[in-house]
Amino acid sequence: MDSNVRELIFRAVDQTISPEDFERLQTEIERSPDVRAEYLRAINLCQSLGEIASEPTRESFVDTVAPRPHKERWYSKSGWLLATAAMLFVVSSVAFWLGLQKGIESPQERVAERVADDVIEARLAGHATLRRVVDVKWSEGAVRRLEGDVLPKGAIAFDEGVAEIDLFCGATLIFEGPAELEIESDWSVRVTRGRMRATVPPAARGFVVKASESEIVDLGTEFALEVGTQGARVEVIDGEVKLRGGTHDGKHLRTGETQSLGGGVNRDRVSSGLSTSSEIGQRQQLAETQRFDQWKVTSNKLRSDPRMIAYFPIAESQEGRVVRNASRRGKSLDGLLVGPVERTSGRFGPQSAGLEFDRPGARVRTRLDGTFDAFTFTCWVRIDSLEHRYNALFMSDGYETGEPHWQIRDDGRLMFSVMVDDTQDVRFYNRRDQRVVKDAGKHRVYYTDPFWDISKSGQWFHLAAVYSPAERSVNQYINGDLVASDEITDEFLVSPLRIGAAEIGNWGQPFRSTQWFAVRNLNGTIDELAFFGTPLTANEINSLYQQGKPLGY
Amino acid sequence: MNRPNDSPKDREQQYDEFVVLLAKHDLPLRRYVRALMPSPDGVDDVLQETALECWKKYSDFQPIDSQEPSEDFLRWACVIARFKALSWQRDRSRDRLVFRESVIELLSSDALRTVLGHEEERRAVSACLQELSVEQRRLVLSVHSPGESVARIARETGQQTRRLYHRVNALRDRLLKCVEQRLAGEAADG
Repeated sequence: MDSNVRELIFRAVDQTISPEDFERLQTEIERSPDVRAEYLRAINLCQSLGEIASEPTRESFVDTVAPRPHKERWYSKSGWLLATAAMLFVVSSVAFWLGLQKGIESPQERVAERVADDVIEARLAGHATLRRVVDVKWSEGAVRRLEGDVLPKGAIAFDEGVAEIDLFCGATLIFEGPAELEIESDWSVRVTRGRMRATVPPAARGFVVKASESEIVDLGTEFALEVGTQGARVEVIDGEVKLRGGTHDGKHLRTGETQSLGGGVNRDRVSSGLSTSSEIGQRQQLAETQRFDQWKVTSNKLRSDPRMIAYFPIAESQEGRVVRNASRRGKSLDGLLVGPVERTSGRFGPQSAGLEFDRPGARVRTRLDGTFDAFTFTCWVRIDSLEHRYNALFMSDGYETGEPHWQIRDDGRLMFSVMVDDTQDVRFYNRRDQRVVKDAGKHRVYYTDPFWDISKSGQWFHLAAVYSPAERSVNQYINGDLVASDEITDEFLVSPLRIGAAEIGNWGQPFRSTQWFAVRNLNGTIDELAFFGTPLTANEINSLYQQGKPLGY
Repeated sequence: MNRPNDSPKDREQQYDEFVVLLAKHDLPLRRYVRALMPSPDGVDDVLQETALECWKKYSDFQPIDSQEPSEDFLRWACVIARFKALSWQRDRSRDRLVFRESVIELLSSDALRTVLGHEEERRAVSACLQELSVEQRRLVLSVHSPGESVARIARETGQQTRRLYHRVNALRDRLLKCVEQRLAGEAADG
């Protein structure tokens, strides 16, 4: 194709063509089938780009709970109302057509709202992270911390065990219990009790540990410290520190040198018996293996539970594109890994597995046929962030009558719902959001209060939802505790329940009529999922949590 | 226009069918009309007139191929749309750029073929967009967003219009080639 002609075509499309050139283009179109074809290709491309650019399901928009583009389209809703008008005046078809046009711009009168441009940047208070803990017993009255927690300014105290803390400046501190300390900033920690090893890389040079009357300024590499009730003693393992304040103000200590600060600690070599980072790693691995083994025993018992619909003990699965269903219902219920699902560490450390659904195409597909009287869903999940408006745990494909959706809203609320009647729409005033919400299909979403925010990123959670039409109740649990209990009213009663084709960690909408899909992949990891066809009791849920919880929880 | 024995009920049912068909084919029909009109300005008007005319004549519509009644509807609506596009341009031939009737005739038969493959084309465009960088994608989509144009974006971003044009056209060229390849590939794979 002559590039001049192509340019003419684009200028015509963009309405910047001169009348003379437009004449030329018309002549070319008449003369050459190739130009004609090229013109139509350009028009089609620009139309497609325009459609894509105005596509309402783009990421900058928020979807309703169930856009259901595959079944329900705006016209099926507006049709009858408009039909009545058109019966009276055929002329009103014009108005109707305008109505349709409008409908295209806002399908389903979607309750979409643009995510505000002035989104407030998320912020977290913290100066350090708790990298590892082994056998830690937190002191009475002290805050219980989990591995991976961001540590804010403030006190940390534990009676037993070992904790490894990474300061944001780059220094690593290993404390042996009993220990009491206070994190003051990225660059400063006060120790009031306990033994500690500090490793300070060049990037963290200048990091300060305050003990007794002095400040220990690290000038590179490694030192040990013991703080007792009377005073403290410091030993340089490798490198150099400078003391500031107190009687030894200005003194430098080099490799192998020790100094008492205020007396009271008589141990000659402060460093002897202090754990190194690699020793902590080994101890942790050992403890995790034990915990993992304990879990395997209880998990094996669980597999023969006749109430179980399906059970995916992902933690023990090491390879392949399949997650095994371990319930008695067998192999046909195995889940299939689709797309960029990553196998990563599970909640028992690197020896156990978890499935990560970080990317939009990641999903595990399952098919759980049959009808059920009730649902109990439980899972262990680590949430990295709630990136999307709705973040999928377990979602039936079509969300048809009797089918469940289990997900987490971006404000940290757990959501459980079952479609009551997929041929109806609901409109209701949502008190929480203070607005009228319209949803495709009659269903009700049962929420918990927010349980997750970004400070919980990386923690493991045991989540459970128990949906029991017979008892008219929906109970939701987090870490074995009942956190929400709702009544199923007559209006929203549905039975029997089904699942059918469904996805873990994402939502498959295979019946949709466009290529667009709602982005709901879970940015996190799931390492165990169980589905029961009966309601489990609060005690049973709690014992599932107790038996399955990872080290340190 | 109604069959003599049409009861209101039948008519109601017909209307419901009609709405479904028209809605289903809205985008391809819009493309078809756009292909016959040099400016997007009159497209909405022509579509409106087409919809009205289609409804008036809907009782006469007989699907030829009962297997694909919906596609027949699109063909039928396109015939009506072609007349509407012709007459719209005839009325305005004095005050703006419009295609000659001979050009519209030639384009209309080819255009019908392309709109029938509109879903595939659009899928291909989406896939091809993914091959561009984020910045390129943003540029080419922003130019085609409703109410946007190259000139406007150039003004707002302080870029030279001509330079921006070059970039946009280069991206369109790339997309056209990519789409063509993809569609050829799809056809070959059956």
